[in-house]
Amino acid sequence: MSATHFRWPGFDTVLNAFAMWFLAFMWALPLLYAIWTAFHPAAYETNFVWNAPLTLDNFAKAWAAAPFARYFLNTFMLVTMILICQFVLCTLAAFAFARFTFPGRGILFALVLLQLLVMPDILIVENYKTIRSLELVDTILAIGLPYFASGFGIFLLRQTFMSVPRELDDAARVEGTSFLGLLWKVYIPLAKPTYLAYGLVSVSHHWNNFLWPLIITNSVETRPVTVGLSVFAAIDAGLEWSVINAATLMTSGPLLIAFLLFQRQFVQSFMRAGIR
Amino acid sequence: MKPLVKMKNCIASIALTMGVATSAQAVDLEFYFPVAVGGKAADTIQALTDEYVAANPGVNIDAVYSGSYGDTVTKALTASRGGKPPQLSVILSVDMFTLIDEEVIMPFDDLVKTDEDKAWLQSFYPAFMENSQTGGKTYGIPFQRSTPVLYWNKEAFAEVGLDPEKPPASWEETIEMGKKLVKKDADGNTSRWGVRIPSSGFPYWLFQGLSTQNDVVLANSDGNETYFDDPKVAEALQYLVDLSTKHEVMAPGIIEWGATPKAFFEGQTAMMWTSTGNLTNVRENAPFDFGVGLLPGNKRFGAPTGGGNFYIFADSSDEQKVAAFDFVKWISQPAQSAKWTIATGYVAPRPDTWDTAEMKAYTDDFAPALVARDQLEFAVAELSTYENQRVTAAFNDALAAAITGTKSVGDALAEAQKKADAILKDYR
Repeated sequence: MSATHFRWPGFDTVLNAFAMWFLAFMWALPLLYAIWTAFHPAAYETNFVWNAPLTLDNFAKAWAAAPFARYFLNTFMLVTMILICQFVLCTLAAFAFARFTFPGRGILFALVLLQLLVMPDILIVENYKTIRSLELVDTILAIGLPYFASGFGIFLLRQTFMSVPRELDDAARVEGTSFLGLLWKVYIPLAKPTYLAYGLVSVSHHWNNFLWPLIITNSVETRPVTVGLSVFAAIDAGLEWSVINAATLMTSGPLLIAFLLFQRQFVQSFMRAGIR
Repeated sequence: MKPLVKMKNCIASIALTMGVATSAQAVDLEFYFPVAVGGKAADTIQALTDEYVAANPGVNIDAVYSGSYGDTVTKALTASRGGKPPQLSVILSVDMFTLIDEEVIMPFDDLVKTDEDKAWLQSFYPAFMENSQTGGKTYGIPFQRSTPVLYWNKEAFAEVGLDPEKPPASWEETIEMGKKLVKKDADGNTSRWGVRIPSSGFPYWLFQGLSTQNDVVLANSDGNETYFDDPKVAEALQYLVDLSTKHEVMAPGIIEWGATPKAFFEGQTAMMWTSTGNLTNVRENAPFDFGVGLLPGNKRFGAPTGGGNFYIFADSSDEQKVAAFDFVKWISQPAQSAKWTIATGYVAPRPDTWDTAEMKAYTDDFAPALVARDQLEFAVAELSTYENQRVTAAFNDALAAAITGTKSVGDALAEAQKKADAILKDYR
């Protein structure tokens, strides 16, 4: 119990801080490289000179390589549509699983969970057949349709709804609230962090999805940005890193900016929603 | 609600009658094409398709960009199994056996009627047709085809006292010249390698150059037998490994495809082996005088061919098949073929394309483009078998294991042969 004159920070504190910075740096490195190459002429792709001339040519080149304006619009419509449908369907299903007892509930919920175990890629042919029989091939709806009833979303929301205190539920019922009113006024507000976290996962997943949209769509009017981005993977002709990175920044830019804007909410909601 | 439904039905029936009406006059074709050389290729295909449609009012062609070669075969097979195949697609020539196995494509022979058609079928370079025919039938028509060539840095050659106009012509010369070209900095690190033979992703392709030069084939033309454990194959692989380990003229380990042209421009290697698809890229970006030559030979000269063919899908109406056949005939004519080659750098697949005025002007201006054509005389079919992806994956793994030194050359190849035998057993 001697008096301490000066306290060195503990060894593990230093180690933690160092590891943290190191990991953060390693994580950011590809992004930093992308930013470097995107804003400099191709000659500086592998030469790091402080006063290298800045340029926006790479972005102009990338933008001209595919109808990106239309692709952005399509992607935006796609992720919005998927998010809205997922929220509605998953909320209703999760509420039913969380607060109602009905015959076959256990089996149905097991089926929903089963969806989490099946790789979506395995179902591509079956999904294609379904979409074709609905005559929806080459529509934005067709890209989103297989993802509307998300097993992950239902599971996540059910867990959240089940953690809502019974007392709140009972109190609202005593007031004579309908089931939908109960859902709208009690459950959904309390599950806000989960919605935010799930929304982020969903939007970024569908923003980046490539193979299914490529297969089910044929025209510029329906295709998302990832399909535009794939034009740059031209292995036969040598890769132009500066243009590829400009295109990558351009297509992932909206997501990055949105994430930075809502960073605090996202981090908090991830902590609360328990997806880490 | 009711009136809305009624209106919908009404619109649907109008659309239906209109659909029937147009299909009575016009044939609709769906045409999938991959892009492996950047966005300009997509524009050229679109422009050519538009030109054809404008000249042939009875036909509508929907040219659909379908990603990389791998994506394209996935998309075409998915659409076929889903009951809505394209009528036409450009797919890798090596996927022929897979497509036959899936029963989605049809031979061109069934559509060949006139003597003119027969002559057309004979008009392509035999090196390209090797990958397009099996069992006496032609399933693919060469379109975006390439072959690997040697690029060398003339300035580097002059700098070390080599004749800048004379690239290595044999395996030994590659080693000799390579040793002279290797440059080390003050710390003893190599700042310039002699040669770069990319081995990432699909090492079998360039390796096939080496095996052909050693006068051995990797698979039979029926696509059901491989010869990976042949001693001559082992010799070729040992040479490739020795370039890095024994002679130290090539960087050790797996060498990236995508980064190879860049390394060449930056002077990190004095020579590289890569596809003719890079000609335009090198021409525009190399800051020094460069040469393009045949791959060096050993027992003989040799190189694989690569790239994509046209296929016609079986599950189409007779009118569609005839229209698709006509389109393929048209786009492979010298005039169209020359436009395509000049825009992309792909090797024109028939001799008479090279005789057109456009191609003459192009090759007068840029002689290296002729090297690919001259090499066709020595070129062989790219490795292709039934279950192609699984067989080449086994072979690629073996090559990678030998290159990185995790397995001996003999063990790696014997293992690959065993795997290939197991896969191909059912096709013999």
